[in-house]
Amino acid sequence: MHEASIAYELLNIAVNECSKNGYSKIETIKVVIGRATGVVPQALLFAFNVLKEDTIAKNANLIIEEAPVKGFCKDCKNEFENDENYILFECPNCGSFSINLISGKELNIKEMEVS
Amino acid sequence: MKVMLTTKILDANERIAEENKKMFKESGVYVVNLMSSPGAGKTSLLEKTIEAIKDKVRVGVIEGDITGTNDAERIDRLGVPVIQINTEGACHLDANMIANAAKELPLKDLDLLFIENVGNLVCPAEFKVGEDVKVMILSLTEGDDKPLKYPLMFQESSVLIINKIDLKDYLDVSIDKIKKDAQFLNPKIKIFEVSCKTGQGIDEWTNWLLTSIS
Repeated sequence: MHEASIAYELLNIAVNECSKNGYSKIETIKVVIGRATGVVPQALLFAFNVLKEDTIAKNANLIIEEAPVKGFCKDCKNEFENDENYILFECPNCGSFSINLISGKELNIKEMEVS
Repeated sequence: MKVMLTTKILDANERIAEENKKMFKESGVYVVNLMSSPGAGKTSLLEKTIEAIKDKVRVGVIEGDITGTNDAERIDRLGVPVIQINTEGACHLDANMIANAAKELPLKDLDLLFIENVGNLVCPAEFKVGEDVKVMILSLTEGDDKPLKYPLMFQESSVLIINKIDLKDYLDVSIDKIKKDAQFLNPKIKIFEVSCKTGQGIDEWTNWLLTSIS
C-alpha cells in the first residue's frame, strides 16, 4: 500500500489544521486505520517518522489505532468480526449476503495533541 | 491541548476523483478504470475491445505506465484518441493525474473512456480516479490463488475478466476456484472468461460494456 503517501497526506492535514488555528507544535497525532485498507501500521509509522523532520510535527508521536473488520447481517441481526484483512460479504451465522460493513475501511485522523 | 478531527486521510484524492466524475458525467463519457498485474493483458483486451466496438461508440484511452509509450502506440494504431501518462516510478494512477490527462482529450466527442492503470494488483485498488466502473483482469498464468492473496482488488472491482483461457489445458489452474474465491470476496462481481489471443468470450464482455454505457 501507500504508507508514504498516506503519511505525507496526514502530516499535511495536521500541519494545515495547526497553522489555521495558530498552534506551533504537534505532540501526538492519533489515526484510525481499518484492517481492510491494506495499510501496514509499521510501514506507516516508519514513513511518518522520516517525513515529520523539518515540520512542526518533528517531535510528534503517531498513535495508530487499528479498526477490526466487522460486519452486520441485516437478516439475522448477527454482528461478526473477520480476523483476515478482507471484508466478509456472507454472514457466517446464516449465510445471507445482506451485509453492512461496520468497520474495517477507516483511514482517518481522529485527534491531535498540540500546543 | 487536544484537537478532535474526523478527516479522511485520502480526502484530497477523493475530492479530485469526485470532480473528475462530475466532469466526465457532464461530457457524457462512461469511464472504465482497467486494472491488473503486469502482463495480464490490459492492452490486449483494449485492442480487442476497441476493434469490436469502435463503429458503435466513440472511444478514448488514457494509458498509465511507469515509463515509455509502447502501450499508447499500440492504441494509436487503432485510430482512437490516446494520452500516455508516465508516472515516473509511481505504482498507480491517482485522480490528479487523470484530471490533467483528461484536459488533453476531446471529452465532448467521446462516449467511452478507458483508463489503463499501471500494472499492479495492489495499489491501484486504493485510489479512485473518477471512474464509473472498476474492471480487473486476472490471467490464468498468474495462478488460482490470487483472489485470496490480493483480496482488496477483487473487492473493489465490479467486473473480473479472466484472460488467457486458451491456455487452460496447459496449466494447473482451476478457473472454478478463481470464480469461487472471487465470488466469496465479492458476491456481486461480474465475471467474463476471455482469450485475447483467440477472441473467445470477447463478445460477451463487449455486449455487457455496450449495455452499461447506454
